[in-house]
Amino acid sequence: MSTVTSPEATVPDDSGRRRVPLSPSAAWTVTLVGAVLLIASTFLSWSYTSDVLGDLSVSFYPNAVQIAMLVSGVLVVVALLTVRGPLRRVAEWFDTGAAVRALSIGAAIYVVIALVLIAYQSGGLVNVNPGGWLALVGSLAMAIGSWEVRTAPEGDLLRFVLPSWVEILVVVVLLAIVLFGAAYLLGIPDGETFSLMIVFAGALAFALAKSRGFEWLGHIASRNRRVFSLGAFVVAFLFPFTQNGSDANMSIATQVIIFAVTALGLNIVVGLAGLLDLGYIAFLGAGAYVAAMLSTSAFATVGWKPPFLVVMAVGACTSATLGLIIGSPTLRVSGDYLAIVTLAFGEIFRITMNNLDGENGPNLTNGPNGIPAIPELNFFGFDFGETHVVAGIPLGRFANYYFLLLIVAVIVITIFTRLNNSRIGRGWVAIREDEKAAEAMGVNVFGLKLFAFAGGAFLAGMAGTIKAHLDVSVSPDQYVFLESAFLLAAVVLGGMGTVAGVFVGAAILKLLPEKLRFVADYRLLLFGLLLVLMMRFRPEGLVASERRKLEFHADDEELAERIEEVHIVEEQEAKA
Amino acid sequence: MTAVDQSERTAAEAAGTPVLQATGVTMRFGGLTAVNDVSMSVHEGEIVGLIGPNGAGKTTFFNCLTGLYKPTEGRVDLLGSQIPPKPRAVVVAGMARTFQNIRLFGNMTALENVMVGRYCRTGAMAFTSIIRGPKFRREEEQTRARAQELLDFVGLGKSAENLARNMPYGDQRRLEIARALATDPKLVLLDEPTAGMNPRETQQASDLIFKIRDSGMAVVVIEHDMRFIFNLCDRVLCLVRGEVLVEGTPDKVQSDPRVIEAYIGGAEDDEDEDGTAVDESDVSAASDESHESHEGATE
Repeated sequence: MSTVTSPEATVPDDSGRRRVPLSPSAAWTVTLVGAVLLIASTFLSWSYTSDVLGDLSVSFYPNAVQIAMLVSGVLVVVALLTVRGPLRRVAEWFDTGAAVRALSIGAAIYVVIALVLIAYQSGGLVNVNPGGWLALVGSLAMAIGSWEVRTAPEGDLLRFVLPSWVEILVVVVLLAIVLFGAAYLLGIPDGETFSLMIVFAGALAFALAKSRGFEWLGHIASRNRRVFSLGAFVVAFLFPFTQNGSDANMSIATQVIIFAVTALGLNIVVGLAGLLDLGYIAFLGAGAYVAAMLSTSAFATVGWKPPFLVVMAVGACTSATLGLIIGSPTLRVSGDYLAIVTLAFGEIFRITMNNLDGENGPNLTNGPNGIPAIPELNFFGFDFGETHVVAGIPLGRFANYYFLLLIVAVIVITIFTRLNNSRIGRGWVAIREDEKAAEAMGVNVFGLKLFAFAGGAFLAGMAGTIKAHLDVSVSPDQYVFLESAFLLAAVVLGGMGTVAGVFVGAAILKLLPEKLRFVADYRLLLFGLLLVLMMRFRPEGLVASERRKLEFHADDEELAERIEEVHIVEEQEAKA
Repeated sequence: MTAVDQSERTAAEAAGTPVLQATGVTMRFGGLTAVNDVSMSVHEGEIVGLIGPNGAGKTTFFNCLTGLYKPTEGRVDLLGSQIPPKPRAVVVAGMARTFQNIRLFGNMTALENVMVGRYCRTGAMAFTSIIRGPKFRREEEQTRARAQELLDFVGLGKSAENLARNMPYGDQRRLEIARALATDPKLVLLDEPTAGMNPRETQQASDLIFKIRDSGMAVVVIEHDMRFIFNLCDRVLCLVRGEVLVEGTPDKVQSDPRVIEAYIGGAEDDEDEDGTAVDESDVSAASDESHESHEGATE
């Protein structure tokens, strides 16, 4: 995705200079011709051999790889018609020219990658059929022409209000696209097609972002908040039903949710209260170890076997207690020092778990062997290990855990958002902003910091108890520093202080290495690179909270101009 | 004892217990005495000015009053009872302040800034915040309404949704006052409320302080703008080298030769007071800096 973002973002948005020697109308025509050629090419054969990227060798029968380009082409044509043509009014609100650019450049990258893959896998460029070359010519024409297709939307999107049923329809359609898009993406067996689809999805997302589409969707979502959150939940709930009993993707989905719930706890500490915690994985581990020790596993070390809901409460409370214990002395230091202390705490937790094996202390954790063979959860006779058939669709073990985790996620999200929008949340943000001033305004700084630590740890511990059963075993090497770093990366990548951002960040960090095996080897390198690019181009995270958006883009020209005007007027008045 | 002093004394006695009574406040940093045996009383509905050259210890004295510093000696009574030197306890007891170098919560909106000021007067805890019962909703609504009311009071009603950091300098000063007022104080301490303001904004600040006084609060103001302070205050204290040099009505202080000397003749001596001088000038430099960076942002 970074390949799509960087060329777009480095170009400053001044429409005065020409980057390609084309007049605006010629550029428009070139882009339109390119789009038509691209659309035509999708009905032709791209490849001589039939074993590359699905099957691209049949004419008049576009497969998924070609359909993506068909969609790109059609979208570009529609967007072009808003630049000059019958749909002009749309361009008053949305920067459709930017959408054309994003889609065109995305398409060019996409086609180039596809042709390279065809040539590489079937032994040379000879195997690229005329359809493939036509697609290349079309997409390159689009990419070149689109540089001079510019629009300047002026309307304030807050005032672009459609009838509420249309808006709700937009939300529903959007969520449906997300559901089927995710299901389709996860269902792609080969990494090559998957990477192409990621390029396509990236281009779509970028087109939406650049054309102010996301901003408008944000307004719609906040106007229809209930519909949106309910819809999001329904989509998440329906997801297992699209998988036809396959466990592979559901396993990833459960990983994502556990990761996201933990990261949401971390988001309280880092995103709201502004305390950098580098040992957060220890709290997840504490919950997992409690669940393992109290489980009916033959290797469990504690005799007490309470029902799971009690285990969950005990695990969460143990975590919260650890948070208090680590928090009360260390929260007196701040900034870098706090980060170092929490980093050390994470390591202390891991090493302690490694050593509580009966030789160096009481045998609680079986040391490095951990506690294996943790049994499946069983709620009132509902066995989480078995496959259940609902409405003809089999739901496997991971789907069962997925539903449980979904409920936990809903609870955690509710806790997070409600705390955020309350006296306590305001206190946290105030502490993050200026601790001394917060104290001087009567905010209970120490208490709130401690509560952020304990509350975040509570949520992580809750997720940990389920993780123990899901992973079947618990061992110290699951809770290394790198995991804490990944949690932090998910929060930063997705957007500090937001719920949706954390889920997006968690999905990206967990999904990509699973789907792209070649990424798995270089994932640290790639994620590092991704974070550097994020810090450069979008420091507020993929899904930014209103507040942080303003924070990082405060050099808003419009606002600055307005303030300047007021100042000048005031000075003149004062002189007079 | 002059006649002026006498009349002041009687007026004070008539007013009953002073809102603020600082007795013998002394603050030493190591070998340096920044504030030496300063006593001050403020009565209901009174505006008291605190002047003095840079490094005289005015802000240090403020910090002692509001619990940011723990005074080495002396006591501070608010409404007749001693208050512990902890910022939170001070606010709860009814004394709020603004800062010389504006310290708003930059990335919160103006309304949220003021709502934070309501923190110590509201009681919703974690559990009630999550459950959101009717009591919580009512309190939240009241907090919001009160915050909006205070923004209207200082004349920022229309900027409620703006980020504090993006507001013009004068508005930031007024927002800080609104945030202080949100704590329901009996006494407001304003540290250079007109620093960096143009004459028109200074006039507005002056009107605002009178409005605050008229709504029943006492005000203490630190300021360098003499015209502003002598127009505004009922009583003025001049602090030099951590000690009260003169106290009295604006007329009396204005005409006192020692005050004039402290400001003009004694300028060189200030440099010798290195510790305090550095402390104060640091703060004022920070204030200048924040002012400049703000101006930079708006250009």
